[in-house]
Amino acid sequence: MTHPVTIVMVEDDHGHANLIEKNIRRANINNEIRHFADGSSALEYFESEEVRGNGPLLVLLDLNLPDMQGTDILARIKADERLRRAPVVVLTTTDDKVEIQRCYDLGCNVYITKPVDYEAFASAIRQLGLFLSVMQAPEI
Amino acid sequence: MSRLSETLGFLRTPTFGRTVFILLSSAFSLLALTGLMSLWISGRINELNERVEHTFEVRAEVQGMVGALADAETYQRGHLLTGQLDAVRDYEAARREALERFERLERLVADNPEQQARLSELEPVLQLRFSILDRTLAAARAGRGDEAIRIIRGGEGLRAMERLRSDLALVDETEAELLGDRRALTRESDLLNLAVNLIGTALIFALGFASLWLLRRYLIELQNSRAEIAEINRGLEATVKERTADLIAANEEVQKFAYIVSHDLRAPLVNVTGYTSELATAAKALTRQMDTVKDKAPELLDADAVLAIEEDVPEALGFIRTSTEKMDRLINAILKLSREGRRTPQPQWLDMTELLRGIADSVQHQVSEAEGEIAVDRLPRLESDRLFIEQIFGNLVDNALKYRDPQRPPRISIRGRDEPGGWTVYEVEDNGRGVSEADRERVFELFRRAGKQDKPGEGLGLAFVRQSVRRLGGSIELDSELGKGSTFRLKFPKRLSAVTSEEDSR
Repeated sequence: MTHPVTIVMVEDDHGHANLIEKNIRRANINNEIRHFADGSSALEYFESEEVRGNGPLLVLLDLNLPDMQGTDILARIKADERLRRAPVVVLTTTDDKVEIQRCYDLGCNVYITKPVDYEAFASAIRQLGLFLSVMQAPEI
Repeated sequence: MSRLSETLGFLRTPTFGRTVFILLSSAFSLLALTGLMSLWISGRINELNERVEHTFEVRAEVQGMVGALADAETYQRGHLLTGQLDAVRDYEAARREALERFERLERLVADNPEQQARLSELEPVLQLRFSILDRTLAAARAGRGDEAIRIIRGGEGLRAMERLRSDLALVDETEAELLGDRRALTRESDLLNLAVNLIGTALIFALGFASLWLLRRYLIELQNSRAEIAEINRGLEATVKERTADLIAANEEVQKFAYIVSHDLRAPLVNVTGYTSELATAAKALTRQMDTVKDKAPELLDADAVLAIEEDVPEALGFIRTSTEKMDRLINAILKLSREGRRTPQPQWLDMTELLRGIADSVQHQVSEAEGEIAVDRLPRLESDRLFIEQIFGNLVDNALKYRDPQRPPRISIRGRDEPGGWTVYEVEDNGRGVSEADRERVFELFRRAGKQDKPGEGLGLAFVRQSVRRLGGSIELDSELGKGSTFRLKFPKRLSAVTSEEDSR
C-alpha cells in the first residue's frame, strides 16, 4: 500500500487558496492539502525531514509570491535529487507566453492560468481534482 | 516678377556670383575690344602697305621715264650720226614709252597735289623736249643735217632735258621721303598692335586670375561651411538618436508598469468573481430555505429578509458581475497592449507599397460593398518592424472603414514621402465622420472613444497604434474636421536600426 499523495499549495492569496481548496474538495479529492502563503516557508517545508520520509507530493504553485518568484521555487524543486520527481502544477494569473515557456523549461508538469471567470476557474480546478484522483505520483 | 527685375536685383546685390559675373564679362569685353582694335590696326597697316607699294610704283615709273628720255636722246643722236632708219623707229618707241609713263605717273600721283602740280608744270617741258627732238629728226631726214645740229647746239633741248631730269629727280625724292614716312607709320602701327594685344592679354589674364582666385576662395568657404553643416548634422542626428532611444526606454518602463499592474489587478479580481459566485450559490441555498419556510411556517417570514433574498441580493450580485466582467475586459486590454508593446521590434526593409496594398486588399470586400475606394500611392520604403507596421496600418484602415460616414461611399488614400533628417512620413486620409477638435488627443488614449458610441469597441485601437508608433521611434498626428474626414500623419525614422542600435549597446 502506497502513501496517499500530499498536495502542497504555495499561494500567497488566501482567497485563491480557499477557492482552490473548496473546488478540489468538491471534486471529491480528500488528500491532505498543505498551504504555504510565501516562498520561504514553502522551501523550509520542502527541506524538512517530514517531506523526506512522508511519501509522494504534488505541488500547486503560484508564480507571484511576496518574497520570491514562483519560478525560483520551481527551479529549486527540480534541482533536488528527490523532490524533482514530484509533479508540479503551476497555477497562476499570468498567461504570458514567455513565462509559460520558462516554467516548462524549468520542468513544470502542468501550467494552468487562473481564469477570472469563476465558472471556468472552478471547472479547471475540478478537472485538476479529477486528474489527481487517477494520477499515480512517484514515491519520493 | 519679371526676369528683367530679377536680373537687376542680381546685379544690385553684392554677391559672389555677381562679382564673378562682372569679372568674366569685363574679360570678355576686353577680349572683344582687343580683337576689334587689332582688326582696325591691321586694316591701317594694310592701307599703309598699299601706299608703300604705290610709292614703289611711282618711283619705278620715274626711273623708267628718265631711262626712256635718255634712250630717246640716244636714238636721236644715233640717227643724226648714222642716218639709219632703225634708230628713228627706236626713238619713236622710246618717245611713246616716255609719254605713256608720264601719263601713268600723272594718274599715280593724282592723290598728291604737290606731285601733281610738279608734273603739270613738267608737261609743257616734256612736250617741248620731244618737239625739239622731232624737229631735229625731221630736219635730218629732210637732208638738212646742219640745221639739226644747229638746233641741238641752240641748247634749248639740253635745258629742257635737264629740267626734266632734275624735276623728275625731285618727284622721286619726294616719293622716297613719303616711303620713309609710310614705313615709319607701318612700324608704329605694328608696335601699337603688339601693345594693344599685349595689354589686352595681360588684362584678360589678370581678370581670369581674379576670377579663379575668387572662385577658389568661394569654394574653400563652401567646403568649410559644408563641413560645418555636416558637423552640426552629426550633432543633431546624435541628439535625435539619443532622444528617440530615451523615448523608447521610457515607453518600455510604462509597458512594464502596465504589465505588472494588470497582473496584480487580476489576482483580486479572481477573488471578487470567485466569492461572488460562492455568494450566489449561498443565496440559492438561502432562497430554497426561504421557500421551505414560506410553505411550512409563513408566519416566521420577515418581509425585509424576503426582499433582501429575492431582490437586493440578486441585483447586487448582477452589478458586481457586470462590473467584474468589464474590469476583466479592461485588464485584458491593458495586458494585450503591454504584451504587444513589449515585443522587441525587428528592423527589416519593408516594401511599404506592397505591404499597404496587401492591407487594402484584405478590406477590399468591405470597400467594394460600400461602393468606396481605397488608393495606395507609391510609398517610400522603410526599415522597421513588419508586424508592428502591419498592425498600425491595419488598425488605421479598419478605423477609416469602421467610422465612415454612412452618407457617402468611403474614400481612403494612403500617401508617403521621405523627409529631411532621416524621417519618412505616411498619411492615411479618409472621408469619414471625423473627430472634433476637443477629441483629437483623446482618441489616442486608452479606453477613450470619440463621437457617437454606435460601434462596438473597447477604445483600444488608436492607443495601440500610438504606442506601437512610439515603439518604432515615430510619432502620430491627427488632422480632422468633424463630418469631413480625418488624416493620420505618421512619422517614422527611415531606418529603425539607426536609432535603436545605440540603445542596444548600452
